[in-house]
Amino acid sequence: MPDRPSGHDRATRRLWPTLALPGTLWLIALFVVPTYAVMAVAFSGQINIFNEPIPAWNPLDWEFSTFTTVVTDSFTPSGVYHEVWVRTAIYSFWALVICVSIGYPVAYYTARLAGRRRGLILALILAPWWINYITRMLAWINLLQDDGYVNKALGWFGIPPHAWLSGSSFTVVWALAYGYLPYFIIPLFASLDRIDERLLEASRDLGVGTVRTFLHVTLPLSRMGLITALVITALPMAGDYYTNTIVSGSPNTNMVGNQIELFLLEGPQKNIGAGLVLLLSLVLMFFMFYYLILTQRASREATR
Amino acid sequence: MSFDPNDPALRRRRPRPQLARRDVLRGGLWVTVGLGAAPLLSACGDSGSSGQAANGGAPYPLARPDQPVTLAIKDSNAPIGDGLEPEEGGTFNILNYAQYMAPAVMKNFGKEHNVSVEVTPYNNYDEMLAKIRQPGESFDLVFPGPSVLSKMVFTDLVQPLNHSYLPHLKNLWPEYQDPWYDRGARYTVPYTIYGTGVMYRADRVKSVPEVGYDLLWDKAYAGKVYLLDDRQEAIGMSLLRNDITGDVNTADAADIQKATDSLIELIDLVNVKTDVNAYSEVPEGTATVHQCWSGDPIAGQYYLPKGETPEVLGYWRPESPADYVIGSDNIAIPKSAAKPVLAHMLINDLLDNKIGLDNFGWNGYQPPLTKLSAKYLTDNGYIPENLSNSVVVRGDFEQGHTFYEVSPSTEALWQTDWARFKAGA
Repeated sequence: MPDRPSGHDRATRRLWPTLALPGTLWLIALFVVPTYAVMAVAFSGQINIFNEPIPAWNPLDWEFSTFTTVVTDSFTPSGVYHEVWVRTAIYSFWALVICVSIGYPVAYYTARLAGRRRGLILALILAPWWINYITRMLAWINLLQDDGYVNKALGWFGIPPHAWLSGSSFTVVWALAYGYLPYFIIPLFASLDRIDERLLEASRDLGVGTVRTFLHVTLPLSRMGLITALVITALPMAGDYYTNTIVSGSPNTNMVGNQIELFLLEGPQKNIGAGLVLLLSLVLMFFMFYYLILTQRASREATR
Repeated sequence: MSFDPNDPALRRRRPRPQLARRDVLRGGLWVTVGLGAAPLLSACGDSGSSGQAANGGAPYPLARPDQPVTLAIKDSNAPIGDGLEPEEGGTFNILNYAQYMAPAVMKNFGKEHNVSVEVTPYNNYDEMLAKIRQPGESFDLVFPGPSVLSKMVFTDLVQPLNHSYLPHLKNLWPEYQDPWYDRGARYTVPYTIYGTGVMYRADRVKSVPEVGYDLLWDKAYAGKVYLLDDRQEAIGMSLLRNDITGDVNTADAADIQKATDSLIELIDLVNVKTDVNAYSEVPEGTATVHQCWSGDPIAGQYYLPKGETPEVLGYWRPESPADYVIGSDNIAIPKSAAKPVLAHMLINDLLDNKIGLDNFGWNGYQPPLTKLSAKYLTDNGYIPENLSNSVVVRGDFEQGHTFYEVSPSTEALWQTDWARFKAGA
C-alpha cells in the first residue's frame, strides 16, 4: 500500500493549519486589527465635530508629526512625558523585585513543601481573585488612611503614624506588587511543580547541600517559569493607571497609563493618547520578543 | 432629606468637565482641524498666535455672555404639538451623569406615569455624544451644559421645547428663562448652577487668607491639598489667583503655561493631589484644603464622621461675584426621544419648587429656582449657617466667569499643559 503514508501526510498537512485557524483568527481579531486601529488614530490627527478621531486607514495618508513629538517628548530628558516613563520603569522594577522576593518562596513552598496543605494554600493565593481589583485597592485606603488599621498597629509598637496615602511612591510600588502578586505566583508554581523530584534526589545523593541544590538545580530548572511570571506581571503593571490613582492621586506618582487615560478619555487630542499606547506597546513588545527568544532557546535545549 | 451617605455609588461622582471652545475664525467645519501643531505651539511658548491660527471656526455661532445666541429652529426638527397625551408604559430613558438625579424623584415620576425610569450614565461630554449618536438608540432626556449645546443643536441631536408644557418655567430666575447660550430657552432649561471655590476643615485651618486659593499654596497643609481633577477648573483658578488674565477661556499659550507652572509648584510644595471628591474627603479628613464645586460643602455635611458637626467644614468663595467661576448644567430632550411629552412633564416637575428641592436635597446641587434662596435653604435646614455662602446668588451668575465653548485647538493647548502638570514634571 504505497499511497497510504502520502495520504496520511496530506491529511496531516491540512490538519495543522486547520487547528491553527481559531488561534490565528483570534490573533487577527484581538491583536492585529486593534493595533492597526491605534496606528490609524495615532497617525491621523484629524477629528470630527464631536471630538472623535478620524482614523487614517490608508497608510499613504499617515502623518507622523504628532507621533514624532510623542517619541521625542518621551525619550529626551526635558520632554513632557519623560518623567512618567522613567517612573513607570522604576515602579515596575521595584514591584517586580517585591513580587520575586515574596512570590518565589511562596511558590516554592507550595510546590515542594506544602504536602497535603497544598490545595488549601493554592486556594488562599487565588482567593483575592474572587474580589474585584478596584475593591481590593479601595480596601487599602481603609487600611492605610491616617487613622487606619496600619497606623493603629504601628502605634502598638510606639511607631508614630505615617501618611501613607499622601502621594508616596513607596505606597504605589507596594500596591502594584500586592495587586499583581497572584499573577506572579501561579505560573511560577506550575513550573516549580513540574520539576522532576528525581533530579533533586540525585543532587542530594551526590552530596550537594540544600542551598546548593536550590541554586544549581531548582533555580535553573525554574528559570523559564520565573521569566514567564515576570512577563505576565510586568505587562499589565506597565500599563496600570488606576492603582496609583486610588492609593495616591498625586501627579508625583503618575505613570504612562495615566497620561494615556488623560488624552484618550476626552478632548481633541486622542492621537497623542494613541501615540503613547503605540509606544508603550513597542516597548513591551521588545521585552516580549526577548522572552520568546528565550523560550525558543530553552525548548531547543530541551529537545536536543 | 434623603442624602444617603452610605451609598457607595455617590462616591463615584465624576467630574463634570465642560468642554470649552472659544470663538476663533468662523466659517469652515471643524471636521478637519489639524491638531498636530498645538502641542508644538505650547512647547515653544509661542504666545498670542495660539489657537487662532488657521484652524477654522465652528459652523455655527458660539455663544458668549456678551454675544448671546438664539438657537435656530428648523422645519425638519420642530417641537412637539400642544396638548398631546403623555405616553404610557415601557421605559423612560435618561442620559445623565451618574448619581446626578435623586432616585426618589425618578421613582415617583415613574409610578405616576406608569413607566420604568432608567439612567444611562456618562463621565464627560465626549462619552455623552458618543452614546446619544448610537444608531437606533433612543433617549428621552439629556443634560448638556452651555459648552456643548450649540453643537448638539447644529447636529440635530436635541429637539426644541414646547413651552406650553412647561408652566413652571416662571419659577426660574428671570435671567435663566432667557440665558445667553439659549435665548428664549428654546432647547434647554437650567438644571443646576454651581460656583468653584475652596472647601476646608475649619478646625485645622486657623485663618483663611483674603484670597482663599492661597490655602492651596500653604505648606502647613502639605499632603492634604487637592485640586479639582478638571483642567479648566484648575488652570482657570490659577489664571485668576495669579492675576495672569481675567479670561478663563484664554487661547494665549503663554498665559496657560504660566498658570500651569504655578500649579506645578504645588507638586513639590504640598505634594498636591487631584480628584473630584471634596464632598467626602474634607469631612472624612483625608483632605484639609480642596478646590471644589459649591455643591460639595452642601453634600459634605452628610459625610461627616460620627460625632462631628458641620461646623468643622468651611467654604471659601471669592468675595466679589466678578471673581467667581460659575458653571451650570441644562436639561434638554434628545431628538430621538420616544416619549417627548413625558420628557416635557419631567422637566416641568424638576422646575417645581418642591420637587426641585427634593432633588437638591439629594445631590447637593442647586437649581436656579427663585424660591430656593440662601435664606430659604438655611431656614429650612438644608444648609448649615456656616456654609450658606455656598449658595449661588443671582449677582454671581450675572458677573462671574464661566467656561464656554472654545475651538479644539484652544482645548488642545489647555489639555497639553494639563498633561504637563499631571506628569509631575
